[in-house]
Amino acid sequence: MSELTLLVLRIGFLLLLWAFIFAVVYALRSDLFGQRARRMPPEAPTASAFPSSPISAAPPRPAPVTSPVSAPVPAGSAPGANSATATRLVIVSGSKQGQELALGGEPLTIGRSSESGLVIRDDYTSTHHARLMLWDENWVIQDLDSTNGTFLNGARVTVPTPVPLNTPVKIGTTSFELRR
Amino acid sequence: MQTPTDAGTSPQVAAPLGSGQRSTFTNTIRLRLRVPSKQRNLELVLLIFASIINVSAIALVQLGALHKIEGSMIGLTIGLAVLGLVFHVVLRFFASQADPFILPVSALLNGIGIAEIHRLDIGNKLSGLNAIGVRQVMWTAMAMVIALAVILLVRNHRVLQRYRYVAMFVGILLLVLPMLPGIGSTKFGARLWIEIGPFSFQPGELAKIALAIFFAGYLVTSRDSLSMVGKKILWMRFPRARDLGPILVLWAAAMAVLIFQHDLGTSLLYFGLFLVMIYVATGRVSWVVLGLGMFLAGAFVASRLLSYVSGRFDNWLDAFNPNIYDATGGSYQLVQGIFGLAHGGLIGTGLGEGRPGIVPLAESDYIVASLGEELGLAGLFAIIALYLLFVSRGFRIGFAGQDDFGRLLGIGLSFVVGLQVFIVIGGITRVIPLTGLTTPFLAAGGSSLVANWIIAALLLRLSDSVRNQPRLVVE
Repeated sequence: MSELTLLVLRIGFLLLLWAFIFAVVYALRSDLFGQRARRMPPEAPTASAFPSSPISAAPPRPAPVTSPVSAPVPAGSAPGANSATATRLVIVSGSKQGQELALGGEPLTIGRSSESGLVIRDDYTSTHHARLMLWDENWVIQDLDSTNGTFLNGARVTVPTPVPLNTPVKIGTTSFELRR
Repeated sequence: MQTPTDAGTSPQVAAPLGSGQRSTFTNTIRLRLRVPSKQRNLELVLLIFASIINVSAIALVQLGALHKIEGSMIGLTIGLAVLGLVFHVVLRFFASQADPFILPVSALLNGIGIAEIHRLDIGNKLSGLNAIGVRQVMWTAMAMVIALAVILLVRNHRVLQRYRYVAMFVGILLLVLPMLPGIGSTKFGARLWIEIGPFSFQPGELAKIALAIFFAGYLVTSRDSLSMVGKKILWMRFPRARDLGPILVLWAAAMAVLIFQHDLGTSLLYFGLFLVMIYVATGRVSWVVLGLGMFLAGAFVASRLLSYVSGRFDNWLDAFNPNIYDATGGSYQLVQGIFGLAHGGLIGTGLGEGRPGIVPLAESDYIVASLGEELGLAGLFAIIALYLLFVSRGFRIGFAGQDDFGRLLGIGLSFVVGLQVFIVIGGITRVIPLTGLTTPFLAAGGSSLVANWIIAALLLRLSDSVRNQPRLVVE
């Protein structure tokens, strides 16, 4: 085996090693730079749903006609209601309107990242947007420094805030309520 | 009733009514079939890539040192690659959403270590079962089987939280074991090994896992009292005197390891692990300031009173002094390692073509210097980048975790690997005093391999339960 062949093999081995590292880094690029945002289809109601106008989102939305759930009690009717009894999270507006998710006792993360418990992929959602936790007897929503904010009944959430039953929480173009 | 264990699979997402029972049923099936493939396929590609690098490393070692290729060692490495594939297949069935990078990175680091140990065996003319490389292959196989057992037995990491006090006692027992007369044995001035018959084992390596589990479980329950109250001095909030109990106990334990077992590295490792976990749990810098101050004060006093600690400091600060270089227990090993690294230069002498065997303990404590000589700066940085990837995946798993115990455990387990790499490589390159710790996955030694593969298994299990999450996707 000549010197030259060994030199070529040696450099080749180092290149192979670095190729492996770059392959791994390329594969986890979405972790480094975040998930790619998806363009919303043009017919999406972007104007009214834009989070910078919380006033328009403030009045509680009636349950959509297509919703499979029973008509909700109007929001705010039971401000001190103990939300620990909530057993499901119902999407009340947005593209998955009417779908629901069973709530256990464990926290639920919300964001564009596929590691979130509730994945919302639109232009306004941050990678790790918010978190819904059961504190003592209440479900509490915590905004994780998201760019466009989380809105509880129209008001932007800045500190972890208890979520009463049947009150809309808005993230991007999606809102959901906790129901019994 | 919903339990956390079945929270992962998607079928809880109820389809809107009106689409009927039948479509709900088909949705469920389709989602289930789609889930497993992506992560695992990526892992398979990377694992095959890593196995090719491992086999070619062995081939290069033999070409460089013997100018011919011998089949037996290559056969053993291919056997390990097959075991890696078995590991992968088991993950497909039992942890399908686990992180795809941990297994290939661990396998690659382990394989590079085996290649370099094999190279030192050729230099020392060891073969058959006397060869350290062959024994390392056997230990690797055993460690991977144990890691598989951990994945199969621990189906949900929250179970570990229940055994936090058991973990504490196991950790302390493992730390104390080498001090017992009869089975404890002293090697290279440190009392860290137990010997039963022909086997020697370093129980402290396993203790770091037990202690990480205990710290995570303990800090989840008590962090409020550790973080909320206390006096504010300057810009930091210091804890109350009565909350100092745990840190004092840990400090005393670290000092006991330093004084009775003569091991600076282990004591730094455990104390550093505790400090980082308490910092992550409470978010208070004052704990780190307090703890580092206490440790540095203790180490300073120890360096005045204990001759071996002060010797380590002299070797570090004045390594090239001829008197210290020639002294027994002097800086000979340190300086030879640095000469080796310098000989390697930018791209190294090539596998099998350097002279790493001159350094004492080249296959265990000094494996990084051996690799640095033969792969050069470029190769050493690649190895450090692999550790960086491993540790960053662990932090990522901790960050994405849904429960506090899992978050702390993920951070703790991956940080302990990172800290150990820093202590070892920092010691070899004279950034900090040299201490005898093993390089995770690379160094020869069964206990270290078993412990690090168990850490990899726990991180895989954690990442599986974390990722099994998306329960509803809105797009």
